[in-house]
Amino acid sequence: MSQSRGSQNTYLLVPILLIALLLSTAVIRGPNLVSLSGFGSAIIVSAPLILATFSLMALAVAGRGTVDLAVGPLLAFINVTIVKLNGLGIVTGPFGVFLVALGIGVLYQLFFALIIIFVRVQPIIVALSGFLALTGINLVILPRPGGTAPEWMASWGIGNTIFSPVLLIVLLAIAAWLLFTMTSFYANLRLMGYDERAAYTSGVRINVVRVGAHVIAGLFVGLGAICYTALIASGDPTQGTTMTLTAVTALVLGGVSLSGGRGGVAGGLLGALNLFLIGYVLATFNFGATQAFVTQLFYGLILVLSLLLTLLVPVIGRYLYFISPFAAFVVLGCVVVGIMLYVSTRDTYAVVAVAGGAFKQDADVMTRYLLLPVMQSGSGSVLPDLTTLQKTVFGFAAVLAVLTFTIRAIVAEAASVRLGAFIYVFVSALILLLFVVVGEQSHVPGTLATGQSSGSAP
Amino acid sequence: MSEMFGEGGRGGLFVPRSRALVWFNLAATFVVAAISFGLGFWQGISAQIVILYTIVLAAVLFWLINYVAVIFESRAPSPETDNAAPAGVGGVWSGNRVLIVTMAVMLIVYLLITATVPSFRTLGNLIAFLLLEAILVFAFKVSNRFARGRSAFIGLIVLLALIVISSFTINGFLSAANIKAILLFAAFLGIACVGQTLVALLGGLDLSIPFVIGSSNIGLLFLIGLGVPSWLAVAFVLAIGAALGFLNGVLSYRLQGQALILTLGMGFSIAGLVQILTSIGSSFGGNVFGTVPKWLQNLAAMNGRTFGLAVPPTILLWIAIAIIVIVGLRYSAFGRYIYALGGNRRSAKLIGVSEFKYWTIAYAISGFSAALTGCLLLGWSGGGFIGVGDQYLFTTLAAVVIGGTSLMGGYGGYGYTVIGVLVLQVLSAFLIGIGLKYEWQQFIFGLLILPMVALYGRAPHIRAQV
Repeated sequence: MSQSRGSQNTYLLVPILLIALLLSTAVIRGPNLVSLSGFGSAIIVSAPLILATFSLMALAVAGRGTVDLAVGPLLAFINVTIVKLNGLGIVTGPFGVFLVALGIGVLYQLFFALIIIFVRVQPIIVALSGFLALTGINLVILPRPGGTAPEWMASWGIGNTIFSPVLLIVLLAIAAWLLFTMTSFYANLRLMGYDERAAYTSGVRINVVRVGAHVIAGLFVGLGAICYTALIASGDPTQGTTMTLTAVTALVLGGVSLSGGRGGVAGGLLGALNLFLIGYVLATFNFGATQAFVTQLFYGLILVLSLLLTLLVPVIGRYLYFISPFAAFVVLGCVVVGIMLYVSTRDTYAVVAVAGGAFKQDADVMTRYLLLPVMQSGSGSVLPDLTTLQKTVFGFAAVLAVLTFTIRAIVAEAASVRLGAFIYVFVSALILLLFVVVGEQSHVPGTLATGQSSGSAP
Repeated sequence: MSEMFGEGGRGGLFVPRSRALVWFNLAATFVVAAISFGLGFWQGISAQIVILYTIVLAAVLFWLINYVAVIFESRAPSPETDNAAPAGVGGVWSGNRVLIVTMAVMLIVYLLITATVPSFRTLGNLIAFLLLEAILVFAFKVSNRFARGRSAFIGLIVLLALIVISSFTINGFLSAANIKAILLFAAFLGIACVGQTLVALLGGLDLSIPFVIGSSNIGLLFLIGLGVPSWLAVAFVLAIGAALGFLNGVLSYRLQGQALILTLGMGFSIAGLVQILTSIGSSFGGNVFGTVPKWLQNLAAMNGRTFGLAVPPTILLWIAIAIIVIVGLRYSAFGRYIYALGGNRRSAKLIGVSEFKYWTIAYAISGFSAALTGCLLLGWSGGGFIGVGDQYLFTTLAAVVIGGTSLMGGYGGYGYTVIGVLVLQVLSAFLIGIGLKYEWQQFIFGLLILPMVALYGRAPHIRAQV
């Protein structure tokens, strides 16, 4: 956590702070989020947005003010193409669908890049052109929402488990981008985005780099379209504009600079999750007939405010350089996890108390703190059959991970002059412990009532 | 458009230097006038009208030919030096590669369609095809010779071609009702584009326009429904629109690179807020009902009358606004400073032009013009609807871009935007006329923007920027 690292990613502080606030509010307002199905559906609903944001992010990093307004219509285009081809029985298998989705995304973006490079018009005009053309052609392919997704996708969109194929796609996309950041190609890309002329004069082959950025963006869009198809299980040609607007909002919320050179997968992910959580939190309030308008108002306000906050990034970088985003993430993450644990366990105990005290006093830590509601019959949880050997293995792995992390942090901090992440980790561990204690306390029947009333107050 | 094309002309009187050219022009004009004279009598139109039209046609034609001749004359030396390239077939090929390839592709497409679709083989289509090829040649070969105003020139040619093609293929295209409809919709779009043009001249963008249009649309109806006098309600809505535009300008001033997104967010908020305000105490959840006053309906409806003329006042309003904006941009200090700021911020600041002032004023005008469009659209439709402005999200941008105003700022003008608006509307009417649905129109709009911009809006190669 040296100083240069901290100042480089300062822009992540704002989205991290925001996500901590939003997640806490979301958990307190709607405790259903903290459950297998809650997380599962959250992942599935937000996956298309996350991937669309990644696509925009890859292009934004490439500079020249490239905001691909056509990302939503392109996603919808791939969506309706998949559904149409499936309906005609031409492409139904997983391999074919992936090939079609990724192929269309890459081809479109390749075309986009070649126009920017050789015709040399502003990217925003190409994007505008693509937006209009694709929105039109979507309605030609599929005049109204309908059709069915390929059969093998049917189980993807249910969302009763965290480990769905959609999560796998998102994780793979993130991992791929992180691997990509290790290459020198990525360094060239950032250089080009930050100052194209400097990149050109220092010998970067900017045309190749630009094409590369667009190909990556196309892959992300293709994956996003597959997730979207799995989510709605049909084709919808009308959601392109909305998707573009929300993805651009997510991009800005994630602190990615639209003028190029700054941005990363963490920012895009945080931005998309923030946007999802805003929608989730707003949905827990009841505004009656004006619900949709209030949501719209808040989307707009948050977009404007987060844009204005980016003005503060240099100020933050100057005065708060000693807070590294990573450390802040760890601390706030622990706090939020603590709140989640508290909320979820409180509900569990409340249910049990209502059921009449048939609570297993010796319910082991695994079932109580893995966010799983204990069945009222006492027959066990969703993860019932953990043998002693498995518990030992998992426990050992967890201890090993914690030890490795602590030792690494100590070594890293010893190398730098300041006391940084280690103290944060220490503080966060304390906070976590506090919540565990609170959770343990709250199942004592005497304190249950007070815990319940005070917990539901916020 | 004369004021755009050149200050090179001698005081607006375009007289070529060489005598022979003047005589040639006069002869050409005379021949055309004679043909139209004969045609007029052949069609059996009354003599006074034929004579009047012939005189007007001759005068305009003579002025136009002389004008073109002057432009080529004054720029004559430079093409000579350009054409030092190798002569012969190789030279022709290397000089006109793009043109030849494009023409060949169009020819192949035409032949393919003709061969496969029997109903396509009509005289109208053949004429349309030949016209398109001619436009292409014209656009490539002639427009190069204009130093400025190339985009407007190309836009006018495209407009002319569209009108000719449409009147060949669609019955009743040139009827008074159709022209009135096209002009009315062009007026709505054109008024909405005033602000977008000014903002684009400064290098910004305003995507809040459609939301302000929708909000002022339902806001005005809501106010009228509350019992506010209609003129006061309109004034209030226009003032609010200008204030919101001003707010847009203030907020985006420090974020000029991201004005696009910021105004989009502002638009979201405005639309949401207005819908909340109008649905407080109402059980219709955002739907506003009320009666639109007569004068507002007359202002924008198709059968509206201006001082007894059967022309909706909105069209005349648009013409008046266009003249004010064009003249204002060209001759007032305000207009010149906008160009100065758009062209080069730093040098404009050094001569003491306040960037903040002009940036916010441009956005305020944008908000005002959007609110005005919303009010007029209420008169046209007679019922409030928040989504009435949705199609203006990208068409305002498209009209500005097609007209040729640079989105980087400093080049263009409202006159160009007027051409862009007319091209869009005539094209739209043409596409509707030949029976294409809305989605195909949008598709074609999208594909049209790119080549239009590519003809004149290309950036220099990175080598030239270092």
